[in-house]
Amino acid sequence: MSTPRSSGIDPAAVELGCDFGPLRLQSPMLAASGCFAYGQQFSAFTDLRKLGGISTKGISPLPRHGNPLPRICETAAGMLNSIGLENVGVEAFVRDKLPFLRDLGISVWVNFFGTDFATYIECARLLGAAPGVDVLEMNISCPNIKHGGIEFGTVPEVAHRLTRACVEVSGVPIVVKLTPNAGDIVGMADAVRQAGAMGVSLINTITGMAIDVRSRRPRIATTYGGLSGPAIKPIALRMVHQVATALPDLPICGMGGVLSGEDALEFLMAGARCVQVGTANFAEPGAVLRITAELRALMAELGLARVSDAVASLRPWPPEAAYQAPPAGDVST
Amino acid sequence: MTAAQFEARIAANTRLGGGYFCLELEAEQPTPVAAARPGQFVMLRGAWGRELLNPRAFSVLHAEGRRLTILAKAYGRGTQRMRELRSGEPMTVTGPLGVGFPDPDPEICDLLVAGGVGLPPLHMQARVAAAAGLAGKQELFYGGRDSEDLVMLEDFARWGVAATLATEDGSVGVRGYVTTALAPRLARARAAGERVRVLSCGPTPMLVAVRKIGLEHDVETLLCLEENMACGFGVCLGCAVPVHGVKPYRYCCTDGPVFDAKELRWP
Repeated sequence: MSTPRSSGIDPAAVELGCDFGPLRLQSPMLAASGCFAYGQQFSAFTDLRKLGGISTKGISPLPRHGNPLPRICETAAGMLNSIGLENVGVEAFVRDKLPFLRDLGISVWVNFFGTDFATYIECARLLGAAPGVDVLEMNISCPNIKHGGIEFGTVPEVAHRLTRACVEVSGVPIVVKLTPNAGDIVGMADAVRQAGAMGVSLINTITGMAIDVRSRRPRIATTYGGLSGPAIKPIALRMVHQVATALPDLPICGMGGVLSGEDALEFLMAGARCVQVGTANFAEPGAVLRITAELRALMAELGLARVSDAVASLRPWPPEAAYQAPPAGDVST
Repeated sequence: MTAAQFEARIAANTRLGGGYFCLELEAEQPTPVAAARPGQFVMLRGAWGRELLNPRAFSVLHAEGRRLTILAKAYGRGTQRMRELRSGEPMTVTGPLGVGFPDPDPEICDLLVAGGVGLPPLHMQARVAAAAGLAGKQELFYGGRDSEDLVMLEDFARWGVAATLATEDGSVGVRGYVTTALAPRLARARAAGERVRVLSCGPTPMLVAVRKIGLEHDVETLLCLEENMACGFGVCLGCAVPVHGVKPYRYCCTDGPVFDAKELRWP
């Protein structure tokens, strides 16, 4: 197969500003929820004003103290976490954290969750009314809380009702963050789309486990944790592609193990319209901007002048691509 | 001093036996880590590709100008690779991070209780004290499994810091745990009306014992902890430390790694 060859363009000529539903982003590269706190810690290391946006740590109506120790462990090409959605709660978030984010002048995505219908709706109402929130990223997928979380994210009918209820009170666009632990990712995406979600974020962490054989204990106190990092990227890409193919008009924010500009471009080509960087921020607080620069250079090299030139630009293999099908009747040998 | 992330190269990697090694890094410019206090730490990551994702936390042993030295022991996948590093190889450094020990005080004798690879913050405290003419107000209690677990003793001797040693196999110093010598020392201080405090770093079971002894003798006891951490600057929330108070956890990376023994919600 021949690789499409395009004449390269000047990296400075690449337009990274892009649309995500009704939003205009200055860059398709955002920081992912749970990996960026509320942003402040990163200002010592990077220029936050150049990010496409920030998705905050998940916010619940009341503060949460999180799970017992140990909460994290490194695994092959990734890490497990079970932080337990520790957060300052809506009131303190709006008072102490949101003004800093609002003043950055970038897209502010506030990730939120509840533990039942009433608390989800309450959270959507309070955050939607707070000035400076561009998107509510509804987390129906965290594996680390005992109630809510996972069942909201795995039963399309429940997700549909929950999304509709939150859309009705929020006043700002809702992007639903789906779990890869859902059986039918397209069915889930369609359910929240029909309920009024502006878009979907794909994917949250995948439930996993690691064991210390010497102590015979799970390496995470809650036994199971959420796997993130490059280990999950192929799964994330597959899900983005499935949803983008089935629901081409639904904006998708792709994520899962993005460490380089090439990773980000893979997500765009699979059908994501913007991309979040998560786990990479821990090792490298300047990761999002480094990846953005790499994306720009790679797009220039490939002659992609705009983000939209890359989005869902995957070329299918021709049917007779690599080999001839064996003659009929030969298969049983 | 605000932390920064910067690139450095290995200037020297010296093996000390028993899996211990001293890694000396050099950056192109003077770095903020030069201002690190005893107990503060850095996150280090080599060119590890995608397999090992996260940096590792190490107490600063010594830092000056462009140079930074850490003491480590090959234990897991990261430290095993680090032990093999050669001069000139690159490493990404983030730091200085965390809150360290208080300054040496001419009125107080610091009892430095170290276990194995927990030596660096106490080594640095003794160095700082010696430079301020306070070596006589520092006493080292250093324990390990065997003689290979007791490293850099010559530095303490040079500074004039008294050392009490203990090994589990009895090969150096007294046979048994280093904590055995601590209780009588605290009792002596109390009888003499001497002001002392305990500064300690080492394996968690040792710190649990040090905490208990310190609390029993009603002596200020400061423990330098180690927890799994992915970032080192307060974002991943992986390094929660159970504490008494309204909030059940504080964070090893930003609230510590040095904690007052009274504050810890430990057995």
